[in-house]
Amino acid sequence: MAYLVTFHWGWLLGSLLLGLGMGWIAVVQHGDGISKATAQRLAVLVVILVGVAVARLVPGRFGYWLDLGLVMFAAYLVGCTIGSGLRDRFISRQAPSA
Amino acid sequence: MHGLFRWSRKWWPGLIPLAMLWALAAWNSTVSMERDLSASASAAVKSDVLDKTRIAVAGRDVTFAADAFSEEGRRSAVTSVESVSGVRLVNDRTQLVAEAKPYVWSAERDVVRVTLGGSTPLPAIKARLLEAAKAALNGVEVVDRMGFARGAPARFDAAVLLLIEQVARLKEGKITLSDRAVSLSGMARDLGGREAIVAALRNLPEGFSVAANDVAAPPYVFQANKDPVGVTLTLTGYVPDNAAHAALVAAAQRKFFSEKVVDNLKASIGAPKGFSDAVLRALGALSRLSTGSLVVSDREVKLSGDALYDGAANQIRTTLPKELPEGWTAKAEVSVKPAAAPVDASVCQRLFTETLSKGTIRFETGSATINVDSAGLLDRLAETALRCPTASIEINGHTDGDGDDAANQALSEKRAQSVVDFLVKAGLPADRFKATGYGSSQPVADNDSEEGKARNRRIDFLVR
Repeated sequence: MAYLVTFHWGWLLGSLLLGLGMGWIAVVQHGDGISKATAQRLAVLVVILVGVAVARLVPGRFGYWLDLGLVMFAAYLVGCTIGSGLRDRFISRQAPSA
Repeated sequence: MHGLFRWSRKWWPGLIPLAMLWALAAWNSTVSMERDLSASASAAVKSDVLDKTRIAVAGRDVTFAADAFSEEGRRSAVTSVESVSGVRLVNDRTQLVAEAKPYVWSAERDVVRVTLGGSTPLPAIKARLLEAAKAALNGVEVVDRMGFARGAPARFDAAVLLLIEQVARLKEGKITLSDRAVSLSGMARDLGGREAIVAALRNLPEGFSVAANDVAAPPYVFQANKDPVGVTLTLTGYVPDNAAHAALVAAAQRKFFSEKVVDNLKASIGAPKGFSDAVLRALGALSRLSTGSLVVSDREVKLSGDALYDGAANQIRTTLPKELPEGWTAKAEVSVKPAAAPVDASVCQRLFTETLSKGTIRFETGSATINVDSAGLLDRLAETALRCPTASIEINGHTDGDGDDAANQALSEKRAQSVVDFLVKAGLPADRFKATGYGSSQPVADNDSEEGKARNRRIDFLVR
């Protein structure tokens, strides 16, 4: 993990920024987004993929790509969370009071 | 917190660019990361003693194949690769180096190169052996066909280093070490090389032994050439040591009384058993020839040339092989010199006097047995006697002044008779000779000095 992070920090940073942007937008975006059922199914899929990666079931380059994808996805989620949180705290909540 | 769930349902559109980013990252980084891991893994096993190390990286998985020299070494190498940062899985394809039984090592030398083959236990030992071979063989091409195997006997390297030194002593041949048994075959480079190898092999480490030593040495050659024109006897080739050298040259000077001895002999070990004895006998035979050459090669004596008369030729042909030590063979290609023109009695007398002025007939001390060193001189006298077939010859024996007169008288008579017997045996009619002894009554020199006494002990030939 540490090696993945140090070797791919550029890509992870990209994913984080992408997540930050997406999270920023998501707060004010209109519409409902994905349904709860879909979100759960996606969560299950992610959990399975993480399980497969941790168990090292996929060999060779595919295994590496899975790891890389999951780590980038994690960075993306972190970015989204921070982006949404920031937008909510500093902009969305100030707007109504302004 | 509730808000986070709400917003997160709207995060999915970002997954599309994320997937693109992921694909880009995978396409861009896979090969460079594999290269990085491969380099790190190679560096990690650098200090481990391994053979045929191969490292292949797919993604973060390393396929590690190598031949290890011990189970601990194998495990430690695998652990080293596993602990490389970034490696996810190690496909362990390592194995132990095969065990050899019997444990064979060999060195083969031909005209241009030395080929080292067989098994060695460790890369460090192999490198040391190669280095030692290059140093010992000094410029000769060394071809390395050695592999690795476990199961080398204790002190294997010390034994092989000793054997490599012996390869340098071979002109061509093969040395094989099988477990602890050494076999050698081929031809030694120098005379005495065989002996040097045998001596060196005594220092093999304990437990090692010589199973077979079939190393042959170049022939041990001694040559003598009697040249009647230059009146020289040229000695070439080898003698065992300085003492034998001096003894041989001294004997040659006694046997070849009129020739100048040219000594080109060199001392070298490796002489066959009975060398000095055989060479002395063969030189005795050569001294009886008017012209001829002697080649002694190992235990083979080859004499060729011209004897002075028929009887001498026959004697040499029959006696030389019998006189040689056991195990020696002789090949005498002796012909007879064409008979010289007959001369009258006065010329005959002059020839006798001339011959006897160059050499003296020698007898064993206090006896009438003719010394073997005088064979050549007697042949020369017999040949002269043959040239004047009508002359009758008085053969007079004289002694020095030592001892009582009666004994000296008897000895002088017996010695004169011995000479007559020799001439008769050579084929001359007995009635032409008369043996007379004078004891010490007719000295030609002072009996007070050894030199004078030696001159007084003599046989004179008087033609009537």
